[in-house]
Amino acid sequence: MSIKKDHEVIIIGAGPTALTAAIYTTREDIETLLFERGAIGGLAAVTDHIDNYPGFADGVDGLVLADQMRKQAERFGAVIELGEVTKIDAGKSSVKLETTSGDVTAKALLIATGSDYKKVGVPGEKEFFARGVHYCATCDGAFYRDKRLVVVGGGNSAVQEAVFLTRFASHIDLLVRGDHFRASDVLQEELKKHKDKITVHMNTTTDEIVGEDNKVVKVIGTDKLTGKKVDFPTDGVFVFVGLMPNTQFLKGCGLELDEIGFIKTDENLMTNLKGVFAAGDVRHGATMQIASATGEGATVALRIREYIEGHKVINE
Amino acid sequence: MVKNITIFTTNTCAYCVMVKKYLSSKGFGYEEVNLDQNPERQAEAQNLSGALTVPVTVVTKEDDSQEVIVGFNLGRLAPAVS
Ligand SMILES: Cc1cc2nc3c(=O)[nH]c(=O)nc-3n(C[C@H](O)[C@H](O)[C@H](O)COP(=O)(O)OP(=O)(O)OC[C@H]3O[C@@H](n4cnc5c(N)ncnc54)[C@H](O)[C@@H]3O)c2cc1C
Repeated sequence: MSIKKDHEVIIIGAGPTALTAAIYTTREDIETLLFERGAIGGLAAVTDHIDNYPGFADGVDGLVLADQMRKQAERFGAVIELGEVTKIDAGKSSVKLETTSGDVTAKALLIATGSDYKKVGVPGEKEFFARGVHYCATCDGAFYRDKRLVVVGGGNSAVQEAVFLTRFASHIDLLVRGDHFRASDVLQEELKKHKDKITVHMNTTTDEIVGEDNKVVKVIGTDKLTGKKVDFPTDGVFVFVGLMPNTQFLKGCGLELDEIGFIKTDENLMTNLKGVFAAGDVRHGATMQIASATGEGATVALRIREYIEGHKVINE
Repeated sequence: MVKNITIFTTNTCAYCVMVKKYLSSKGFGYEEVNLDQNPERQAEAQNLSGALTVPVTVVTKEDDSQEVIVGFNLGRLAPAVS
């Protein structure tokens, strides 16, 4: 598969940040190519229902929002290549990228690669991946009709996904390591409405996922208050213990990351590498919301336009 | 040569949308089995893939050999239909 080599702007990712930036750049007639290795719409596309994105009085399904953003970007000429960027190399006047669709260059690059789910890191997690251990409720929840589930985590994603999974599961044990939820009050209120199906276990660590005959049968945890081991019989486990920035492919390219791996930027959302910008969930300091992702997408697109205009002057 | 393609999906699965989008962009037709509408076919998807997840794409070749691709995995999907 080979595609056009030289581009004005390349965006890595096609989540809300990237699609918004692409709406802005292409509407200004700046040629823009996006690379997406997963779902167009990013994490917004794998979220069942979004209640806090403005403009939708009754909320909007993640898949619908993602599709509308994609169509809007494509209407102005954005091109989305289904492929993965594996390496970047920032030069003086352009950035080179290695991708699964071939090598390409851009005058300006936007990294909007967001983040992926963290693993909980316990025995059994790897062995039963996708066969009893899951990270995407909208993808895999349907396999647990009338079954018991364990959900691990106490943040927004864990609570939101536990509530979503009640439409399939007969019962859910929600294991929260700390003594309080990190999820918003609104979500905690929503959780209370499902107390017939969801049992919350605070101060409970997840220590091991145990299987028999190739199937998950229980989770072993520890009640931190008593120090006692507790068994949670279950047919499957959904893990939502936080997010990890998608920046592994940037190792060694000279881009400045924080200690966790989020990308550091200046007030123009430019990284320490010339012509390389970062925005959205992957950026150090991001607030991890779709509304802020789209806001950052708009901001960075305007900064990229200024950069490209300055670049033209410098190169003329 | 591809004889036919079946995709097991659900209503909320974003990666299912991507598999369908990719196959359509390459001009392939496919049969879709939506497991929310046909939960009785869940075991079939599970037996084919060995996993409890969608999308499961089954590419049947002219010689009736089958390739089963779990998830939106372009690295496997693209060669399977090429
Ligand atoms: C379960 C859950 C529920 C949520 N609910 C809400 C909510 O109700 N309201 C809200 O405002 N926010 C919510 N969020 C947060 C919201 O989804 C994110 O803040 C938003 O999607 C961030 O957008 P982004 O474009 O920066 O990153 P992402 O959406 O993560 O998109 C990044 C994209 O980049 C792609 N990518 C990564 N690396 C590469 C590579 N090397 N090459 C090619 N492509 C690559 C990824 O596949 C991905 O599609 C939720 C998140 C989760 C996990």
